[in-house]
Amino acid sequence: MIKLFTGSRWKAIGLPFVFLAPALALYAIFFIYPFAFTFILSFQHWDMIGPDKPFVGWDNYVSLNRDEVFWKSLKNTFLYMFMTMPLSLIIGFLLALILESLMRGRAFYRFVFYLPVVSSIVVISILWSMMYDQQHGIVNELLSVFGIEGPNWLSQSSTSLWAVAIVGIWKSFGYEMLLYISGLKAIDKGLYEAASIDGAGRLRKLVHLTLPLLSPITLFIVIMGMISSFQNFALIKIMTGGGPNNSSNVLVYQLYQEAFQFFSIGKAAAISILLFLIVLAITVVQLKISRKLVHY
Amino acid sequence: MIRYRKLTEETVKQLLLLGLVGLVLLPIFWMISISLRSEEYVFSGHLLWTGPIHWDGYKKALWDIPFFDWLANSLRIGVLQTLGQLFIGACAAFAFAYYRFPGRDILFLFVLMTMMIPMQVTLVPTYLIVNQMNALNTFSGVIVPHLASGFVIFLLRQSFLTLPKELAEAATIDGCGPLRVMWNVYVRLSGTILWTLGVLSFLSNFNEFNWPLLVLTDSEKMPLPLAFQYFRSETQMEWGATMALATLSMIPVLILYLIAQRYIVDGFAQSGVKG
Repeated sequence: MIKLFTGSRWKAIGLPFVFLAPALALYAIFFIYPFAFTFILSFQHWDMIGPDKPFVGWDNYVSLNRDEVFWKSLKNTFLYMFMTMPLSLIIGFLLALILESLMRGRAFYRFVFYLPVVSSIVVISILWSMMYDQQHGIVNELLSVFGIEGPNWLSQSSTSLWAVAIVGIWKSFGYEMLLYISGLKAIDKGLYEAASIDGAGRLRKLVHLTLPLLSPITLFIVIMGMISSFQNFALIKIMTGGGPNNSSNVLVYQLYQEAFQFFSIGKAAAISILLFLIVLAITVVQLKISRKLVHY
Repeated sequence: MIRYRKLTEETVKQLLLLGLVGLVLLPIFWMISISLRSEEYVFSGHLLWTGPIHWDGYKKALWDIPFFDWLANSLRIGVLQTLGQLFIGACAAFAFAYYRFPGRDILFLFVLMTMMIPMQVTLVPTYLIVNQMNALNTFSGVIVPHLASGFVIFLLRQSFLTLPKELAEAATIDGCGPLRVMWNVYVRLSGTILWTLGVLSFLSNFNEFNWPLLVLTDSEKMPLPLAFQYFRSETQMEWGATMALATLSMIPVLILYLIAQRYIVDGFAQSGVKG
């Protein structure tokens, strides 16, 4: 054993693992093991209190299949993603373009638009819940200036998810903007000059130069944006609690409810596994598509 | 003529952006405004921008709850967790960027994957493990499970890869061991990205909600984001005090962000964020 790991062999193989050891140990304990644990739990019944964890096969999954709340949460999870991600990405991109072409004030705008990103999600959720208040909130107060009587945004099935999604967009577009700004800065300005000499107008430069050159960043934003929209927990927990009538419930919140309110751990674990499979599928599909579209 | 067109364009853009600034800042102005009103005034149907200044909300937020203790808890969690994430991340990123070893690419792919899987997927077992370690209701129970951060490892590796390997080789020839190569060459030359990651990680750890909510139950150990429940019951909420607390808890974040903001853009640009 000692002989195996002496001299150059040790340096080549042993050393990197010494540097990796802390991270790998943490991942093993707090990621791989819990993950395997979740997988097993999804085939068991358990209330977290008693020691009994009877194996029940696909029961948890079957009960999810019959569970109306689950289908609603699943639908809402995707709805929320399609409400927030594209808009936040487009706003972020346009702002990055405009800001980079400005003569003055760039730093100021960047500062303001990134402010919601660094703000505490709890503060934001509470602040916006009050803003949405039917009687005293600023949203309806402003609407009433135009003679519109606003609804009770958060406690009405037809508006609750949208109301949360608006906050999601408000909080995230600055992040996308910043990533695009850093991408724009990295583009070689000579390319634009060359294109100008060839007689390309602004739109052509945007479509044939800027967009393709930024496509790796767009891919990164789309994947990370979709995944983070799947993790939208604090907004739902604080603003609506999934209500009314589960109209704003999403998978991560239902998972939390099943585990820590109803103590049906098996069912929560089954939701976890499904959530994982969905995220995995989305990522794989996106990477596959991107092979064709993304230019490095 | 061209100059003239450019100027109009600039003006249009500026007006558009200023409008958006108004929209983005509206909630913040409103928060500050409410924090300065009395409860009766808020519910009296007046326009909320105006009205007499009233400091009761701030008095309640600062003295009716142990505000400074909870702030200290948040800062402690934020700082320790961030330092740990940077240290562990730098070690791992160094291994990925500097060495070639069997399994490297697969391990790196694994790190990327940990970034993509929502932490809620492993929430229940992680909670149980922390419970088994008797670490529920402790700061280490909050901090340790998230010390290995895929985001930090990924961005640091990207940034380390941009450094010329010759530098590290020169240092080795001069007799530096691997630890000193990592520290003197890679870490020292990655100041911007380290600051950027430090600030971003600190802010997200400082603001984290879901995990501390589960782990910490003692009110003494609570971080600031959990303090809001004290001004909120099932049916009612104290608007002035809640908004004062919100305003107060944004101040540390704002200060740090003001100091560090110029690093953030450069840091992203330097690391070449790519998929």
